[in-house]
Amino acid sequence: MRRGKAKGAIIGIGEVPTGRFQETEAIEFAMKSAKLAIEDAGINKEEIDCIMPTAAMFSGVFTNEMATGRMVEELGLTGVKTNCNIWSGGSSSSNSLKLACAMLAQGDAKNVLMVQAEKLATGMPSGQAGIDLFAFAGQSPEWEIPFGQNFSSLTALATTRYQYETGTTDEQMAAVCVSNRKWAEMNPHAFFRKPLTIEEVMASKMLSTPLRAKMSNMLFDGGSALIVTSAERAPDVVDKPVYVLGEGGSSTHFVFSQEPDMTRFGFAKAGRLAYEQAGLTAANIDVAEIYDSYPIYQVIAFEELGFCERGGAGEIFLRGDTWPGGKIPCTTDGGMLSKGHIGAGGSYSLLVESVRQLRGTTGERQVPGARFAIETGTGGTYVDSHATILGSEIP
Amino acid sequence: MQIPDKPDPLVNNWARPFWDGTREKKLLIQLCSDCKKHIFYPRMVCPYCFSDNIEWAEASGKATIYSFTVVESNAPSPFVPDMPFVIAVVILEEGVRMLTNIVECDPHALECEQAVEVTFVKKNDEFTLPQFKPVSAT
Ligand SMILES: [Zn+2]
Repeated sequence: MRRGKAKGAIIGIGEVPTGRFQETEAIEFAMKSAKLAIEDAGINKEEIDCIMPTAAMFSGVFTNEMATGRMVEELGLTGVKTNCNIWSGGSSSSNSLKLACAMLAQGDAKNVLMVQAEKLATGMPSGQAGIDLFAFAGQSPEWEIPFGQNFSSLTALATTRYQYETGTTDEQMAAVCVSNRKWAEMNPHAFFRKPLTIEEVMASKMLSTPLRAKMSNMLFDGGSALIVTSAERAPDVVDKPVYVLGEGGSSTHFVFSQEPDMTRFGFAKAGRLAYEQAGLTAANIDVAEIYDSYPIYQVIAFEELGFCERGGAGEIFLRGDTWPGGKIPCTTDGGMLSKGHIGAGGSYSLLVESVRQLRGTTGERQVPGARFAIETGTGGTYVDSHATILGSEIP
Repeated sequence: MQIPDKPDPLVNNWARPFWDGTREKKLLIQLCSDCKKHIFYPRMVCPYCFSDNIEWAEASGKATIYSFTVVESNAPSPFVPDMPFVIAVVILEEGVRMLTNIVECDPHALECEQAVEVTFVKKNDEFTLPQFKPVSAT
């Protein structure tokens, strides 16, 4: 095996279940996840020399605490040289991993702890408060908010145009929810684990045409953490390092209506960069851990990353190719649609799940012999598209 | 549920002529004097050629629907009483994109690429929103 081409390696993961935990503070999700990740890596906690927490949307106070070293103190870490929040919404894990790899390559860090915690279910005063938070989060107070724009409506705008251009049906969009649920049924950390049918999705309340309630994520509490080290050092530390082989990104807009193509976003460019770095193509990928939050974004990224032709994803999700046992398993932790939306944790979860799949430790939802995974993240109102390619080996 | 007031646009200094324009029932967008491209939303510098020489030009008010949605539930609190209402992205004849509402229409009869035209809806003494309505068949 040739070494050195990888940009870094993930050697530890930790995750707490997603759900509603009224009595639990967000710091407990962060602490538990971080401790699990450090123990999983089998390193001494004093070896952590860099912490990259990310922001939590439910609380500015908690976010500031994480930015100013609470984890350093609570974990009793004495070797930390850098503690710094990395925040870009749902792409925070992609950007953190990229920056972690750069610091490792530069020799500015040896062991980076990435950690995320959120309390969007029980840390909010009400369900409507969650709607209002996301109505205004990341949206232009001059050009969109005065017109009633919110996350359901902007997602509906992308869905309407995509369906208009490709002829994809409502039932095919609903199939994404069904596909993700089939994986979540087998994930003890997922919130929604009961089987789901197309008919149930189609019978759920209309939010913003053609987007229905069961096509929408729900907000929960949870957290996760990862330990990243250099690809050179990783095999000396753990039996099964997971290598970071390629990373690509593309920032395409800030104000949602200014996105030049809301049926594609920047995933083609992000994917091209990531595949080039990894020296792989979509045909080499065994599992596609694609960020959902709503069906449309999973469908678009799936197509733009080369898993099928444009407009073909709906039928593929419907006929089961992305389901357990299918040809191209997709979003195997259940995604934000079934595992639950925990802020920046959406893509953190998929990164953790990628590691589990490539280690071969996902139990009944294991994709047999998975060697290469692609994982995506996207932040704000889908302002940026990120693709990360991971492998159990360096090709 | 207590319904808060709808938020006024939070105006950037350099965008003030746009909102002064809508109050006068004029749809003003920027035009770069150097590369001659239209610009929306208003910018400090031309995003195409980086020029500082930006002027204002009155748009025709004609547009087509790029995409639209009928908001039927879970609207932000201030907009709950308005449901169902239409949010759309329109492309102006001048080529720029704008988020807006489509009004004076049957929400469920709208289509992508449909022709619409601007209508100015007064919100209060300070703000008038540029909204759009279907071009009536002649
Ligand atoms: Zn210019």
